[in-house]
Amino acid sequence: MLEVVGLDAGYGQALALEGVALRVESGEIVSVVGPNGAGKSTLVNVVAGLHRARAGAIRMDGVDIGRMAGHRFCDRGIAIVPEGRRLFPRMSVRENLDLGAYRRGARAEREATLEWVHALFPRLAERGKQLAGSLSGGEQQMVAIGRALMARPRLLLLDEPSLGLAPVIVDEVFDVMRSIHDAGVSVLLVEQNIDRALAISSRAYLLLEGRVTMTGPAAELRASPELRRTVLGL
Amino acid sequence: MIVIQAAIAGALTGGLFAVMSVGLSLTWGMLRVINLAHFGLILLGAYLTFQLATDLAIDPILTLVITVPLLFLAGATMQYAFDRLALGEFNSLIVSFGLLIIVVQVVSNLWSADFQRMDATVNPYATRALTIGPLAFPLPTLVAFAFAVVIVGSAHLILTRTYPGRALRAFAQDRPIASAYGIDHVRLGTLLAGATGGTAAAAGMLFALGSAVIPTAPFEWVGIVFAVVILGGIGDAVGTLLAGLLVGAVSGIVSVVVSPAAAPLVIFSAVVLALMLRPNGVFVRRSP
Repeated sequence: MLEVVGLDAGYGQALALEGVALRVESGEIVSVVGPNGAGKSTLVNVVAGLHRARAGAIRMDGVDIGRMAGHRFCDRGIAIVPEGRRLFPRMSVRENLDLGAYRRGARAEREATLEWVHALFPRLAERGKQLAGSLSGGEQQMVAIGRALMARPRLLLLDEPSLGLAPVIVDEVFDVMRSIHDAGVSVLLVEQNIDRALAISSRAYLLLEGRVTMTGPAAELRASPELRRTVLGL
Repeated sequence: MIVIQAAIAGALTGGLFAVMSVGLSLTWGMLRVINLAHFGLILLGAYLTFQLATDLAIDPILTLVITVPLLFLAGATMQYAFDRLALGEFNSLIVSFGLLIIVVQVVSNLWSADFQRMDATVNPYATRALTIGPLAFPLPTLVAFAFAVVIVGSAHLILTRTYPGRALRAFAQDRPIASAYGIDHVRLGTLLAGATGGTAAAAGMLFALGSAVIPTAPFEWVGIVFAVVILGGIGDAVGTLLAGLLVGAVSGIVSVVVSPAAAPLVIFSAVVLALMLRPNGVFVRRSP
């Protein structure tokens, strides 16, 4: 489904990603793990069209979308839950969700998708009129995930979805991730909660200083001493 | 009694300020463009109203059929160019100031630098007034007020109820994320700027309805319009209407009670105070 080849990306002089190759097959949950500053966020941002790659290809169903305008990535079936959630704070929960369904392909199914999102997060139905900026962190994360689902993605990108949340909410987020996956959506997950991320994933990539240094089945990475050493410092 | 008359008449005059301000406020708030050339478009609107109404001998309000599409195109083209040049907020101020000077000069060359006024036979509004008991209101300000309510009301409904309007608000709050959800800022920005061009046409017509036109008029408007935009909250359509009424009423009262010369002093003191105490706008209702 998604295939990234030879990806270089950076900010100014600095190169954040160097020759990264990655793929996500239909129906997979794939994790990208690595220490802070390894380029994980840059990677998902490039795949979401938020940040432009310097070199390499981003292929979605075989079509290179890397040169397309950023606003056209979502039409290819990609939606992102960005780091820090980045809701539209001065708009209501409902408006945030509706904007997720902005792209034409998603707009027609808006009501049906909204029912699904409300089923996943019943609290969002109660908070529909509240301003997104006034919600708690956990509720904001639900809106961020809901907004992404409203776009009817085939590939969902999640950037640190459990960061800064209470343990109970983290459980809820992982449960929801599983339901989303069961509904047929592929997931590319960036998570600092490595054990939980690997437990839910089929495959994983270890990113170090902008390069993929290890890849394989999630269970294999989980057992790897190298991963423990480089990421957890054990 | 004279104070009440001045306050109400002033508030009604504020309708014209609101129509002038709403376009500037929206492009500033949504697109981060401080478009001084908007005043150039208003000036063009005023002169085109004068010329068309005089030549065709039609009701000045009817000239909108021609001027609105024309200035829509002008506004949209300008925004498209700003976007292509990737102008930042401050640079847009400088570039559009240059454009304003050019428009003023062109208008001056085409129509002369003198005051010009629509003939009373062409413009039936200028000399009429509505009297209620002891109070009298000039018809042009009433028309301007009605336009203000309709324009600001429509802008508010479009921004809150329609997909393009919500997309613009989303875009104002987080551009990259809005884009990741499929919002094409070039298309929407061009549309919005076109619409504000249309409001400039209306503002120009309303100005010509009540006043004589002169090429340097924009320099009279800039101060008061910026006061209205800032008091109303940048990007807040309803705020511009409320601020327009407030500024108009205060000017009216101060002019009568103290002197007309004191009105700007009071208004701009209020702007400074507002910037210190309520930097998001005096009437802000939904801000985090």
